[in-house]
Amino acid sequence: MRRGLWTGVAGGLAAMALAFGTPASAYHTHFQSTCTSGYFNDSPVTRSQARDYAYVAAAEGYQWAGGCWNDNNNDDSPGDPTEDPNTNGEGGDCSGLTFKSWWERSDTSDPWFRYHSAMQNTHGPYTAADFKYGTGAPNATVAKAGTVYMDAFASTYHVGMIYWANTAFNQDRIIEAKCEACGSGTWPRTYRGNPDFSGARRLYWAG
Amino acid sequence: MKKTWRWPLAGFLLGGLVGATFLTVNVVGASRPNAPAASAGSFGEILHTPPLLARAGKAVELSFGVVCGIVGDRPGGRCEPRGSVFLRPTGAREFRKVPLEREAGGLLSAAVPAGDGRSGFDYYAAIDNGRGQSATLPEAGAAAPQHVWPLEKWTTVDVGPPRFGASRAPSSVVARFGWGRGERAIGLDSGREQSRIGPSAFDIAPDGSVVVLDQVNHRLVRVRRGAKRGQVPIAFSGGEGDLAVGGDGTIYVLEVSGTPMVRSFSPAGALLSAGPLAEHVADMVRAGPSGALVHGYPSEMWLPTGGRPPLSAEQQLRAAQAARNVGDGLGVVVHASPAEVELALVRGDRVVRAWVLHGTASFGEVQLAEPYGDGLVAVVRLWDEHHAEFRVLRLGVSGITSSFTVAPGEWAETASLSRFRLHGDTLYQLRSGPSGAAIVKYEIGGTR
Repeated sequence: MRRGLWTGVAGGLAAMALAFGTPASAYHTHFQSTCTSGYFNDSPVTRSQARDYAYVAAAEGYQWAGGCWNDNNNDDSPGDPTEDPNTNGEGGDCSGLTFKSWWERSDTSDPWFRYHSAMQNTHGPYTAADFKYGTGAPNATVAKAGTVYMDAFASTYHVGMIYWANTAFNQDRIIEAKCEACGSGTWPRTYRGNPDFSGARRLYWAG
Repeated sequence: MKKTWRWPLAGFLLGGLVGATFLTVNVVGASRPNAPAASAGSFGEILHTPPLLARAGKAVELSFGVVCGIVGDRPGGRCEPRGSVFLRPTGAREFRKVPLEREAGGLLSAAVPAGDGRSGFDYYAAIDNGRGQSATLPEAGAAAPQHVWPLEKWTTVDVGPPRFGASRAPSSVVARFGWGRGERAIGLDSGREQSRIGPSAFDIAPDGSVVVLDQVNHRLVRVRRGAKRGQVPIAFSGGEGDLAVGGDGTIYVLEVSGTPMVRSFSPAGALLSAGPLAEHVADMVRAGPSGALVHGYPSEMWLPTGGRPPLSAEQQLRAAQAARNVGDGLGVVVHASPAEVELALVRGDRVVRAWVLHGTASFGEVQLAEPYGDGLVAVVRLWDEHHAEFRVLRLGVSGITSSFTVAPGEWAETASLSRFRLHGDTLYQLRSGPSGAAIVKYEIGGTR
């Protein structure tokens, strides 16, 4: 009798696990269900304001092709499968964070400024390579030696903005959305001297 | 017949009910993201690059940036930071308050007159953001201030023009790895529109084996000549980190994502201790005379993290040092810019020996600076807009004893300052390309 009962319990648990317990269905946080659509056009905007804005994203999550984050200094959707926008997790990716932090607009012919709420789920139209090559009316290339804070270093696969230039070991602290396991942060990097990376600049800052 | 089925059926239903309840609780929990936190309006961050070395007869500029953040997702309401720097000459007890002045671009700065820096000085900054919040840098303030050494004598070194493309071949390849998860592979975190992150770091154990932080695969890999490669799983939740091996074989692993964590492992890979770093950003862990030393930000100081039990945050901050303690009372100090690189060996408040590097190309980061004989071995990056190389310099009392150029081999990222390690007379490099990663070595030569 008892053996029959426990066999049945085991069978029931196994059936539930097989039916509904796959990691994909159990895991996703669907963080983006809490995102908003808040934005407004703004001018003038300074590099300092842009850095203040980007700072909010530091220590939050990373979401490939994503674009919304809160301000609790925690990755609220860690460990999502990579390269899948449907995981709907927290954070921007590298180009999305740059687009929002540079207060850009979705119309690539419009160079002026737009404030995007941190929780606004927008990625913008640009890839890392677009920033590298200065694609879009607000964007330009610049010599790496001439970059200043809130300019960026961009390659064909990644872009990060200068948070604080020239540390004691002559790195740059970069504010960036790095990878799913990394999240977003302000880490010291050596992009400046890496030939893969070029200097990128948002035009029309007010100072 | 009925009796035979009754208990299994009841069990099946009970198991299904328990399983469904368990899954529902977990799915609901996982599906409920933390609501957008009402920002507490933290201070933000003070940004600063410490000068560390003051040239005789020159004033020292102390500049601080302040990041305020945006409170409540509302732009505007910009903070108006103001504050002071507290200075004391080396050896003095009392600090003197000097107001910071606002410069164009929002920096706060103060000039330390040449006379005040003659014997070196300690300092810390206290800044109010105008929103009723204040912070000090370094965080421990007067208890563990930043330090500047007086630089009265140094050896000027001209590293010459860059030799892009004309690099020395390694003397041998210690280990090769393909990308992947298998026993002979090493992890690569990559994809479209994403960084290429390979193994973060490596070091050489006292027995000569190479220990690699394969953080993508959450493991340590040990390679020893003539022995089978060993893999030891470790706790590592972040994307990047650093690694150092102490003189007793203890392996220190720094995890830099989120709140930086320092874990120590026995030579066999057993976890010995784990604890958070007191600062929120870090780039290097090195083995000090009595445990791990972590280079943290925003202080840019070296924080000892202790052993078992790890030091508390307050203990770390109070024991922070501007120089990296390399034993025998010696410290290494590095201060670099695109135009020049300053390297010094210090003992307490005194500079024992110093070098100032110049060249025709821009300097990038200082990858390595380790005591070697009566001088240093340094590895610095030289670059222009489209090229880069690493220059290995053996520095002696009178300047360069020998130097050679090394190809970057940086297809995949490592920890930013962990591409090289010096062990005895051998320099090791972690290189990578599309097909995989390798540890190669170069003989430095000469008398230590």
